[in-house]
Amino acid sequence: MSVSPPGHMLQKTRSRSHPGAQLWSPSDCCPGVSREIARASGHPDASQDTPGTPSPSFRQVQATSAPELWTQKQLELKVAELVQFLLIKDQRKIPIKQSGIMKHVVRDYKNIFPDLLKLAAERLHYVFGYKLVELDPKSNAYILINALEPVGKDGELRGYQRTPTTGLLMIILGLILMNGHSIPENDVWCFLRRLGVYPTKKHSVFGYPKKLITEDFVKQRYLEYRRIPHTDPVDCELQWGPRANLETSKMKVLKFVAKIHNQDPKDWPTQYCEALADEQRRVRPEPNGPALTS
Amino acid sequence: MSKEKCSLTGGKEKRGELVRSLAWQHLVKQEEEEAVKKEEKEEGEDEEEEGSDSSSDDPNPEPPCMHPDLLELVVDREKCRKIRRQYRQLIYTVQQNREDIVNTASDTLSEALEEANVLFDGVSRTREAALDAQFLVLASDLGKEKAKQLNTDMNFFNPIAFCDLLLLFVGFNWVEEECKEFSDCDDSIVLSFWGMLHEEATSWMLQAETFHFIFGSFKAERSARKPRLGCHKRACKMEGSGDMPTKLRRLDVHANQETTEKEVERILGLLQTYFQKYPDTPVSYFEFVIDPNSFSRTVENIFYVSFIIRDGFARIRLDQDRLPILEPTNVSQVDDESDSYSYCRKQGVISLSLQDWKNIVSTFEISEAMIKNSY
Repeated sequence: MSVSPPGHMLQKTRSRSHPGAQLWSPSDCCPGVSREIARASGHPDASQDTPGTPSPSFRQVQATSAPELWTQKQLELKVAELVQFLLIKDQRKIPIKQSGIMKHVVRDYKNIFPDLLKLAAERLHYVFGYKLVELDPKSNAYILINALEPVGKDGELRGYQRTPTTGLLMIILGLILMNGHSIPENDVWCFLRRLGVYPTKKHSVFGYPKKLITEDFVKQRYLEYRRIPHTDPVDCELQWGPRANLETSKMKVLKFVAKIHNQDPKDWPTQYCEALADEQRRVRPEPNGPALTS
Repeated sequence: MSKEKCSLTGGKEKRGELVRSLAWQHLVKQEEEEAVKKEEKEEGEDEEEEGSDSSSDDPNPEPPCMHPDLLELVVDREKCRKIRRQYRQLIYTVQQNREDIVNTASDTLSEALEEANVLFDGVSRTREAALDAQFLVLASDLGKEKAKQLNTDMNFFNPIAFCDLLLLFVGFNWVEEECKEFSDCDDSIVLSFWGMLHEEATSWMLQAETFHFIFGSFKAERSARKPRLGCHKRACKMEGSGDMPTKLRRLDVHANQETTEKEVERILGLLQTYFQKYPDTPVSYFEFVIDPNSFSRTVENIFYVSFIIRDGFARIRLDQDRLPILEPTNVSQVDDESDSYSYCRKQGVISLSLQDWKNIVSTFEISEAMIKNSY
């Protein structure tokens, strides 16, 4: 599959003041932008603009507001910087906030932020095999998920790069699924005690398990941790978080549980029906190529 | 149910108002007696009652002489009887189809409840209401059973079994035999278990692998702290000013050297000189440290001597009068256990007030300080 580099996706215009310099303006991605600026500055020919041609209004933008115009190289560097920022931020698996991206990377490029993000998403997809996903529409937070299905014996190739917490997470997600939509925290600890994981004891692998489950997994948005109303003493429950729904599915977790039991997922009719319904909700026609999904 | 009944005895009251004359009362009494007999017969034989009631659906025409109010009363009673019969029929049907109703896929219970709802609209007397209550008890009992049936799918999942199967899946089924608890196992076994489980779990998750720097991140070397020029300038200014006392100015020249270290070395030199002159005579601790002219210098001397003792260049012992004396340390000459014991490093805290200092100076008749001022 031949993929044109992000540079080809941008329209190039030549500046009269710097012959040969490739410039990029917001109008290339958002054709209405340059016209708006020109109209605001009271240019007479603003209404007759056509994007892509070096028209008076485009020159007006060039002349009046220098930060509105960037060379191809500047843009490439900014996209590369954004990709690097996203990769480094993802190491802790905590959702990357839009405000953080704006503050540390975008800065003066605020007006073309959506386009930068789109280009970064494309690069992450084609180079690294990652999908940049918005966690939920209101949160303005992003996560990276694997765009490629896991390969068998993949773990052997990778080796352990960090604490093997995915097994513990999968067990908890399985318990929640098999219990309904949520599970009391006490029930989780009753189960984990049998595997030598205690809420108060430091574990040789996980460190402090209570912190890992009720803080780290919650911050990473794998789990939701909330108080059960009208309970005395206070009791809390665990539910699936939005990240868990993006990185795995009810059907996959049910299949994992079934594999452990050496049974068929259909042996649990209620959960199987729920998982099927979840699968049907997921099956939506996706647009071609990588895009920010929410 | 669907309608609220204000009074279930409304029929009787109505009848009391309608029937006024004795003649009518007599007729009504006869009718009532017949009805009671018929009701007893119905309750005794449900099956027979069904057959006989089919004819009662079309009641015999009343004699033409009957009063219209009485006619209305008879029709009302027939209606109530019909409702009771339908209730009994409904209860019987529900009991017969119990298994079908309890089945999770069946809607029979909902249909039966809707039917009872319709019947309840016509209920006006206690007897019919009692049958409705009887049906409600039956329906709620069946509803409870149906709910249990719905939950059994969930109950198939046994967390304890799941836990044991996890150990079995990873191939750690022998753990229970060797260790009482999984937490008692060796750390390598625990790590291996969670590692294998992690490997299995990652194949079910689209988790993005984290990228790390190939040779680690670039380590920024700490930049050397810039010397603060402010202090230096201030020192130069002070040196230039003629108001400053001579002693302090002379000390300030060597401000960058460690004063304490210098003083300790100087006092150690004095002590060693004394030990060389009088090798067999230990020096009195108080005579050595106390300056009869300055309490503050005395305190300073005690401080400096403590370093000499700490570093093992001298030691403090109590003489026969139980007064502290300073001796040179020579480990090779140590023979007895008491001496070797005294070599163990110990700490002591002494308090010295101004009055104590004066008392020591007068008692020991100290006229001159052994440790002379360095400035």
